[in-house]
Parts: sequence; structure tokens; C-alpha cells
Amino acid sequence: MRLEILPVDVVARRGTQSLMANPLIETKLHVPPPRRNLVPRQRLLARLDDAADARLILVAAPAGFGKTTLVAEWLGTVAERGSTVAWLSLDERDNDPVLFWSYVLAAMQQAAPDLGAGARTLLDSGGVATDIVLATLVNELHGVDHDVVLVLDDFHVIERSDIHDGLAYLVDHLPETTQLVITSRADPPLPLARLRAKGELGEVRAADLRFTAEEAADYLNGAMGLALAAADVATLEARTEGWIAALQLAALSMQGRDDVAQFIAGFAGDDRFIVDYLAGEVLHRQPDAVRQFLLQTSVLDRMTGPLCDAVTGTTGGTAMLGSLDRQNLFVIPLDDRREWYRYHHLFADVLRARLLDEDPDAAGELHRRASAWYEDHGRPADAIRHAATAGDVTRAAALAELAMPAVRRDRHDATLREWTVLIPEDVVRVRPVLALGFVGVLMTAGELGRVDATLREVEEWLALAPEARAASGMVVVDDEQLRALPGAIEMYRAALALMHGDIDGTVAHARRVLAVAPADDELGRAAAHALLGLSAWSEGDLDRAFAEYTESIAGMRRIGHSADILGCSISMADIRVAQGRLRDAQRLYEQGLQLVADHGDGPLRGTADMHVGLAEILRERDDREAAAEHLRQAEALAAFGTRQYPYRSRAVRAGLLLADGDPAGCLALLEEAERCYDTDFSPAVRPIGARRARAHVLQGDIRAARAWVRERGLSTDDELAYVMEFEHITLAIIILNDRPPEREVRTVIAMLDRLLAAAEAGDRGSSVIEILAVQALAFDVGGEPTRAHDALRRALALAEPEGYVRVFTFLGPRLQALRERITTGTTRPIPPPADLVDPLSERELDVLRLLKSDLSGPDIARELTVSLNTLRTHTKSIYSKLGVNSRREAVRRAADLGL
Amino acid sequence: MSAHHIGSYLAIVQYEIRVEGHLSSRWEAWFDGLSLTRADDGTTVIQGPIVDQAALHGVLQKLRDIGVPLVSLSQLRPEGE
Repeated sequence: MRLEILPVDVVARRGTQSLMANPLIETKLHVPPPRRNLVPRQRLLARLDDAADARLILVAAPAGFGKTTLVAEWLGTVAERGSTVAWLSLDERDNDPVLFWSYVLAAMQQAAPDLGAGARTLLDSGGVATDIVLATLVNELHGVDHDVVLVLDDFHVIERSDIHDGLAYLVDHLPETTQLVITSRADPPLPLARLRAKGELGEVRAADLRFTAEEAADYLNGAMGLALAAADVATLEARTEGWIAALQLAALSMQGRDDVAQFIAGFAGDDRFIVDYLAGEVLHRQPDAVRQFLLQTSVLDRMTGPLCDAVTGTTGGTAMLGSLDRQNLFVIPLDDRREWYRYHHLFADVLRARLLDEDPDAAGELHRRASAWYEDHGRPADAIRHAATAGDVTRAAALAELAMPAVRRDRHDATLREWTVLIPEDVVRVRPVLALGFVGVLMTAGELGRVDATLREVEEWLALAPEARAASGMVVVDDEQLRALPGAIEMYRAALALMHGDIDGTVAHARRVLAVAPADDELGRAAAHALLGLSAWSEGDLDRAFAEYTESIAGMRRIGHSADILGCSISMADIRVAQGRLRDAQRLYEQGLQLVADHGDGPLRGTADMHVGLAEILRERDDREAAAEHLRQAEALAAFGTRQYPYRSRAVRAGLLLADGDPAGCLALLEEAERCYDTDFSPAVRPIGARRARAHVLQGDIRAARAWVRERGLSTDDELAYVMEFEHITLAIIILNDRPPEREVRTVIAMLDRLLAAAEAGDRGSSVIEILAVQALAFDVGGEPTRAHDALRRALALAEPEGYVRVFTFLGPRLQALRERITTGTTRPIPPPADLVDPLSERELDVLRLLKSDLSGPDIARELTVSLNTLRTHTKSIYSKLGVNSRREAVRRAADLGL
Repeated sequence: MSAHHIGSYLAIVQYEIRVEGHLSSRWEAWFDGLSLTRADDGTTVIQGPIVDQAALHGVLQKLRDIGVPLVSLSQLRPEGE
């Protein structure tokens, strides 16, 4: 669980935005460059080509059978044919569904920049079920007009069943143009038998991959230039059973040897584990320096020259790696510049086993050196991993504490989760800064009980006198972060309260943040204001909510957190829309886009939401074309959407479909929107269920709409609340469209009266317009045409200045007919009411007096000592009660009425 | 719950894993101190206490990763059973 409304550093969030910025991770997405001394494997390439119709190609064989090499070679020919090729090399650390799918989508995007963007937004937004992310990916793949091949290399390292399930779903739903290739040492738990039976599985297995006698001869005598006798080749082939790694080791140990035949005879007849034996031979034949280098660097997952130097305590690592590469000594380049390498997995295991056997204690020191190098080179994650492997958890903890702010700022949530596993709990417990840094992980995992326990423990440490802390065993590496702890604790407590739906608690803790956070903690203070804004909004206090958000973005502007400003802008625009101030809302979104333009560094998270917001406003004004255009722009920027984006974009598109007379399409989209509905803790003031019920009404499916009413347990006697307002208005619409008896119409009218009073009191302009329109419908249904006209006139008067249109058409043909009679005035003129149905209040009479003067708006506001906003509310109300649209008309009409 | 079932929770179970080919004794450290015995039929028996199923699968995975073909696997009953 994550709070997007809060700035990043307060609550850790899921996200992979920085994934691609890490060159070490980019190597995972890199198709391995061709190996030297390659034996062409036409028979296998042809076999892969023949499997063109298979959804899945499985290349399954033990280590050292040339799986990766074969697929990489085949991809070269595939890419030449114009297919998009996405590659992902997996390792043990990828056993995390979010990380795994992030990599898959990153691989897709690396291959084709637009591919997987929508799915990635969903995934990054967190809290969305994987099946929706994958469904979105499948949709995107269906829209691609060329072939796509996705390779998952070394899939056997993935053990999580939820990842397996996701992959099974993907395989089942891939379009014909997409093919999945898996290399693995073990058959993946996918429905292989079913795929095989349907001819949808291509397979290359150990028996196929083994070198044939001919290939062995090609390799030994051709590529390696050994000039062996046919009988020797046959002996080798038989002894190794075509196991490529063993043949390679044999070739390496025979190079430059005079007694080749004798050497072959020497092991042909025994049972020694051949790879181990031959690796020993190869190592034995290396100069001591090379042998030492190989053993010592075997502790590294990835190698680059300077890192090797640090680990071996010598120089010349870069040259050594280059030389190993040229000699084919089992190093595999990870990039085109041949800067980073790794050992072939099988060879690395053999080396590590030897190192462990020869010098059991050496590995610890080697890992420590690797850790130090990574620390010096600004790669805390690797430094921590090696420190932990060395058993030095104290060092790992200290490194983690120092790296915490950067990791959280860059949203490397998966890295944080890894640290919580690597660093034992008892080590974390005495480190309050580290412990609090891990709270975000617990929060994301939904372990709220443990969040609370950790906060208590940290508070206990802080309660100790500073001189007593160290004596009690407390460890702090970063004093700067220690200073910020009290504010951070309150912020987490506020977030906890919010998650439990406890608004009072949220407000109390957010206020505490403002009291205890240092003045220069802009981020913490801005977050507190955002939470206060959210709380006020949930309670329906729109003006105060807006003011708090304004404070929040002021702070974020000072520290340049532009993406968080966009996040708050969405809430602020929502509030403006609720207030009936569409133009102000529009301006907020436009300012958001301007901020992105000024930022100058490409789109920011939230950019897509700005377009969706504009589309929503344009849809309300019935400017469908412009709305559709903004939706298109949003879609192109889908990778830059917040967690609200998935549902909001669908809901707006659904609204457009409805406007185009496609209620079925609208309903389908709303169903999707409901599945990814996530308001990011904003009050759910326009729930999708209610919108669906309205669409059902327009479709004439009253039963479905009634079913929703039952499900929600709504009734016209309910106590009213702001968060239920939209649903109660929907209830009224449903009843009025269901041929209600007169008695029921009266109860609806009574509820609408209460709703209107509440909306007016809360200054919710949008609701007022909508309630008035529904009232008009109610009066019309109830046979009171005059009152229907009055209500609708008031609604239209309020709607006109801000350009509301859809709110009326949304209510169905009956209201539209009524509206046409009013706007065209053709059927019969609406008699002006002899006196006001709804008399002006004292305050409104004050305003009216000043409206008669020459004073400008701001002057009148000053005169009455109210804000311009409040004045605006009053004048709007006066206009609507008088049924006019301008100041001049109001003055004239007031004179007519003798006010 | 049978006595043996309880026993499997209390006592560490002995396993015998037979693989093809002769693995030299230098691999003992790699297999966390399990003993390696080379048999006349060209196989190697890896034997020793393995704390639980997860540890057993860890050993099997190590064997898979170095490409040693697995021949058989059996649990050795504690004495007296």
C-alpha cells in the first residue's frame, strides 16, 4: 500500500522509474553478443524457425549445453526479419513479482519504446492486481503490427508460484504475433502438456543441444584448430556425451599439448565428473596469476577490471578479462563495450567449489573487498549484498542506513525489500534510523501491525536521554536522519490513521508533524499539509482542503519536487470541479502541463493525469473531439500516470462512449475501471459502481441499476454525507426512471431538498447544479411543471458560466426535452415567477445592494470583508435564485421584484 | 501423528543421493560438509544429515547447476525403525 499524495520520501513507494538508469541492470536486457569460435548450428536454428507458430519455445537442458548461445544466435536472424526482440537475463534476485514484471516490461520497452507503457504505469502505480497489468500488456501486444519475441533467459531461478501463474496467463493470451522463449535448466511449471497437444509448444532439449559427432569435429578441429584424429574426436564425443561445456574445457586443456591422444586416453575410460576434471586440467595449465585471478574473482556475480583489481589486490584486471575473453576462458561479456563480464554459470560454480575447498576462509575477505569497491563506486546495493554474504551484517546495516535517503528518493523499493531480508532483525532493532527506513517496506507489504510495533520501538529509543542511548546499545550512523525521526514517526502515524480510515487521527498526527519537524524539513511539512488537505476534503470542507494543498505545493515547489506538485494538482482540480469551478480546475491542469514543459526534462509522473483531467472537463462541456484528443495524448504518456490514472482514464473514456450513444461500450470500460479503481486515499466521491448504475439507467436496464441500490443498501431516508452524495443523487435518478408512484416521488423530492441544502452549505457548485437538474426531473415526473421549470432554470443559470452541458444530457431524454422547452422557449414561455420560490438570505441582500453600486467585485469583497471566492458563491446563488446570468440582469430583476 | 512423523520434526533426517560420475572429495565443502563416497559402478553417493525439505532441494539444485545427472534419492530410516 502506498500513498501517492505524499511526497516520495515520506512513505516508500513502489516504482521502477530508475531501473533503466542503472547500467548494471541494463545488461540484463542485453542480448548476449555472439560467442567466439561458434559452431554453426543450422539444424537447431531451423528447428526454432519451424516453431514459428508456437506460443512458447522451451529450451531446456542442464548448464553448459549452449542454450543461451543458441537463442542469441537465432535472435540475430529473427531481428533481421524485422521482429522486435526483447531479452531478459534472470537471476535469483528477480523472485519478486513486481520486480520480475518490471523487468519484463522494461525489456519490451527497450526493444520498442511504446511497448508495455500502459502496463508499466499500472505496475508502477502499485496495488493493482498482476492479472490486470498482464491483461493490459496483452492488449498492447495485440495492437502491435509486427512480430515480437520475448526471451526469458535462465528462467529456472524463478521459484515464486505467483510469477509462474502470471506467465501461464500470458502464454495463454498472447496474440499470434508474440512468441515467448524460455531457457531453463528445469521445465517451468506451465501447462506444457496442453501446449504440446495443441502444437503450440516448440521444444529444444538436452538431446538436441548435444554436439553431434560431426559438430564436435567441426568445433575441435575447425573452430579450435586442434587437428585431432577422427578416433580421438569420437572418443571425446562419447566421453562428454556431447556436453558442450565439457568439450570446450577439453579443447582448452588440449591447446598447445603434444600428447593429445594420450591425454584423451587418460580420462576416456574412467568415471570422473568430467567438467570438474577438465576444469582442473584447464586451471592447472594456467599461469599461477591467472589461476589465482579465476578463483578469487569467482565470488563476483559480475566483473569489471577495477573491481577485479580491488578483489585480487593486484592490477591488470581489465587486461586479464580481455585475455580470458579472447582465450574463451568462460567469461561472457555483458555489454558491447566489453566492460562488464560474468563467468559462465557452470564454470563459476566449479571455481567457487575449488576456492571453498582450497581456502575455506578466503571467500569472506574477497566479498568484503568487493563490498568496499562497490561502496567507493556509489553502488550501495551491491556493497550491501557482498557485505552480507561476507557475514558482516554490521557493515551491511551501516551502508544501508547511509544509502536510505537516496534509495527512497529514487523509489528503489525492491532494493529496500532485499535489505530487509539481508539484514537480521536484531541488527535492525538497535538502529532506529534504519528501522524507520524499513517501515515503508512494511507499509507497502500491508504489514500495518509491524509498522506500529516498529514505530513504538523507535519512539522508545528517542525517549532515552542522548547520553543513555549509546550505553543501551543504540546505533546511529547518520545523525542528520536521526534529527528528522520525530517528524517521520508522526508522518507514518498519520498515514496509518489514514489507512484505517481514521480522519481525526490523521489530522492530529499531521499537525504534530508540523509541530516537531525541523523548519527546513520542507518535504515532511509539505506532506503534512497534503494529508491535512486530504482529511479536510474527506470531511467535505473544500475551501480548507484547497488551502492546505496550496501550502503543500508551495513547499514542494521550493525543493523542486515537480512530480509531487502534479500529484497534488489532481486533488486540487477535483476540489475545484466539486465546487463547480470548471475553469479553475482547467487552469490547474494547464499549469501542471506548463510545469512539465518548464521542467524541460521530459514528462513527469502525473503528466498523463493532467491530460485525463482536461479530457474530463471538456467532456462535461460536451467538446468530445477535444476531450478525445487529450485522451490520446494521455495514452501516449501512459508511462507517466499516477496510480489513479488507470481508472480515471477509463472512466473518462467510458463517459465519452456514453455521449456517443454506446452504453454497452461504456459499461465494459467502467467494469475495467472498477477493477483498477484506486483513488489513492482521496475520498471516493464518484464511485464507479454509481456511474455504472447511471449507465444502466440510460441503457434502460433498471433492474441492473436497482441491483446496485440493493447492494449498496441505499434509501431515500438515509442520513446524508458528502462521500455518499453522488450515490444518493444516483439513487434519485434510478427511482425517477422506474415509473415511481406519487408517494415515492415525494420521498425523492424530500431527499433532493436535503441534498441541495447540504451541497449549498458545502459550497459544492457541481452538486448543486446536478441536484437541481434531478429535482427538475422529479417535479416533472411528479406532475409539477412550473416547479420543474424553476429548478431547471436555476440549474441552467448556474451551469452556463462554467459551460456545464453533459450533466443535463446524462439525465436522460425526459430532462432533455424539458431543457429544450426552456432554452428554445418554443413550446410555451416560462412565466417569470411572481415572487421568489427561494428568498434571498440577509447576506445575499447585502451583496445585492452593493451589486447595484459601481463597486468592482474585489471592492465589494473588501467592503463585506469576505474573500473573492465567497463573494462569488453569493452572487452565483443570487443569480440562480433570480434566474439571471449577469450583474446587470440581476439589478434589473431585483428592481422588478422590489428587492 | 505417528512416532516417525514426530521424529522427522525433532531429528535431522539422513539422505542418500546417488549421482552419475565420480565427484572428487573437494566438492564436500560445496555441499556443506555432506560426505561423498565414490562407488565401483561409476556413481557417487552423497550422504549426510539434511535439516529439512528446503535444504534437500538446495542440494538437488546445486547438483542440477553443475550438470551432474541424478540417479537416485532415498531417505535413510533412523536406526531401530
